[in-house]
Amino acid sequence: MKRYVLARLAWTLVATWLVLTLTFGLLVAAPDPGASAYVAGQVQEGADYEEARESYERARGRDAPVLERYRNYLVGVATLDWGWSESRSQPVIEAIATAWPYSVMYAAPALLVSTVLGVAIGLYSATHRNSVEDYAASSLAFFGASIPDFWFAIVLLLVFGVSLDWIPLYFRTDVSWVSWTNVRQLAAPTLVVALSATAGEVRYARAAALEYVNAEFIKAAKAKGVPPGRRMVRHVLRPALVPLSTILIADLLGVVLVSSYLVEVVFGIPGLGLLSYRAIVQGDVPLVLATVLLPTFVALLGNLLQDVAYAALDPRIDYGGREGR
Amino acid sequence: MTGEPDGTGDEAEPDRIGAIDWETVDADDGGVPRRPAAVLAAVLGIAAAVGYEAFRSGGGPTVAWPVAYRVTPLDGLFVATLVVGVAYGAYPLYANPRLARRYWARFREHRVAVWSLWVLAGVCAVGVLGPLVVAKPTVEVAVGYQPPAFWSVPSAVPGSCVGPVVDGACRGTWQYPLGTTGDGRGILASVVYGTRVSLQVGLITATIVVLVGTTVGTVAAAAGGRVDEALMRYVDVQMTFPAFFLYLFVLYLFGGSLVLLILVFGFTSWGGTARLVRSETLQRREEGYVRAARAAGASTGWLLRRHLVPNVSGTVITNATLLVPGLILLEASFAFLGLGDPGVTSWGEVIAAGRGDLATAWWISTIPGVALFATVLALNFVGDALRDALDPRVASGARGRAGDRGSSDTAERADGSETR
Repeated sequence: MKRYVLARLAWTLVATWLVLTLTFGLLVAAPDPGASAYVAGQVQEGADYEEARESYERARGRDAPVLERYRNYLVGVATLDWGWSESRSQPVIEAIATAWPYSVMYAAPALLVSTVLGVAIGLYSATHRNSVEDYAASSLAFFGASIPDFWFAIVLLLVFGVSLDWIPLYFRTDVSWVSWTNVRQLAAPTLVVALSATAGEVRYARAAALEYVNAEFIKAAKAKGVPPGRRMVRHVLRPALVPLSTILIADLLGVVLVSSYLVEVVFGIPGLGLLSYRAIVQGDVPLVLATVLLPTFVALLGNLLQDVAYAALDPRIDYGGREGR
Repeated sequence: MTGEPDGTGDEAEPDRIGAIDWETVDADDGGVPRRPAAVLAAVLGIAAAVGYEAFRSGGGPTVAWPVAYRVTPLDGLFVATLVVGVAYGAYPLYANPRLARRYWARFREHRVAVWSLWVLAGVCAVGVLGPLVVAKPTVEVAVGYQPPAFWSVPSAVPGSCVGPVVDGACRGTWQYPLGTTGDGRGILASVVYGTRVSLQVGLITATIVVLVGTTVGTVAAAAGGRVDEALMRYVDVQMTFPAFFLYLFVLYLFGGSLVLLILVFGFTSWGGTARLVRSETLQRREEGYVRAARAAGASTGWLLRRHLVPNVSGTVITNATLLVPGLILLEASFAFLGLGDPGVTSWGEVIAAGRGDLATAWWISTIPGVALFATVLALNFVGDALRDALDPRVASGARGRAGDRGSSDTAERADGSETR
């Protein structure tokens, strides 16, 4: 087990290195989106085209040999020296530090709500198969999986913001984090993220619970006179939690990361998603890179935790023989 | 999702069971197999035609009527995808009506999925034929914010009202049945052209995914050993990355082009399919009919072509159908973020265009949004029903009921995690 965790940890490091190498390769291969804008600006002010190009490359460190740049890049990422954000005139790491609380503010409640609701609904619908509630749960799962997050966010703004005036149309950062205004402006984004996460969760939870609903030991428990509620929690939920816990970590995280990106753009929440989006619009390469790498690292970490959790929770799986990776 | 899986379809023509299909045997005997050859010829023909169009001197349109239109390489890719889809999806069903009837009987149990199939037929018709009838949406700022027909808005909303102004309200006209965007593009034309983009992204990408995923999966299963290990480790790496953010980075650096988007999606999202095909192939390989064929002297290539790939194709088709909605959503998301192809009209891009005008012009974001939602929902329903209809284990009665299909999800997931 310890060996497996160590191997898995090493694997995560390799994967991280691969991500960094890939992004570096892309950066080298692509024309720098910031360069043309800068050069065009300089040329308009009367500078020589070639000179403007060279000065830009020097300022960016793009004139050094590729291997040296590659080393600097890896060292920079590892030492949290993520560069300077041109568009915000501050170090990238500071921009991220100001942004992330806004993302967590609604993503954490959404994750919590969707986990509890998703497992509860999935479990209920597995134990009450073909009931009206089961069909309602399936409908919810289909609805949540099919509705585009960004469009749902727009519709919520249209209905509850414009027509009913229940939620504010613009996100305000000048209000206290613990205030009614803040709760009101975070309600809709939380709902959007929670819905897409809940949809996946319900499907998985239902499928996982179904494996055990008709198992022999459930029949034995029933014959013994175990009440339905206890059967559901002790005999179905417990074994089902093993596959579920793994899904909870990595897959949900993936859904939430993507969903929150789009939701922040629509609602104007100054979290990591909007930071990244603005960086893209303004051609701020270091900031784009950082805001793309950050969720990637989070996802890699989530995958690591998922596999470790799986190994720790499922006593049937023996990883002793698999030190091969 | 109602009713029990009926076994009656199987007994429809009892005299045919066990009969030898000599036609197939004969067809397979002589030299080059006919269907792959025909598909290859068609694809090469399309490639030649598109290549000629791309390098043809003069910038004139390919067709002048009913609307002037010039064929692009993407159109060629799309037509080739449709040819492959017909040859390997629709034709086998036509050639084998008994099988088709059995699948249909099982598929029909899902009433919602049947409706969804009609929706998708409509979407395909609009996407393929629509651009031939409707002119491309053009920017005309003078006619911005026109309301849809049968709808009226205060006449201050549009710059100048095309329709009649009644009591200070601008009424929609049939010139723009679904209204216009802020810069005067007709919503109807935008939705029609957006449908084609969504279809192209969904279908071409899914075809690439199926081709690469099936090849890698079967090769890994057939070769075993080091090859298998290497391929599956690569799949692990590919699937660990949150694809959304890598696409975001690639599209940002290289600019949004629809062809690039399709290629990037296609060649990086086949991991799940490959895993699925590999595990299915490994299971099937141990079954009686494969062992019998091997004992009779069949080569590995023959086993793969005749027994293994056809028998995992149901799983692959289901998997691809469930991939398509995700791909369409992904394209719409990137178009919404402004990272899509600036040269094409996409649903996501129109939704983004109307985002700032919700209070005055609801139709801009709402109408393409409904189209997107309906298409994705229909695809999800159809994919779910296909999973039940094509899963041979459901037919054999090993599974109690169609609704239990989810268990294969977790089984597959558990399998995936264990290989790590």
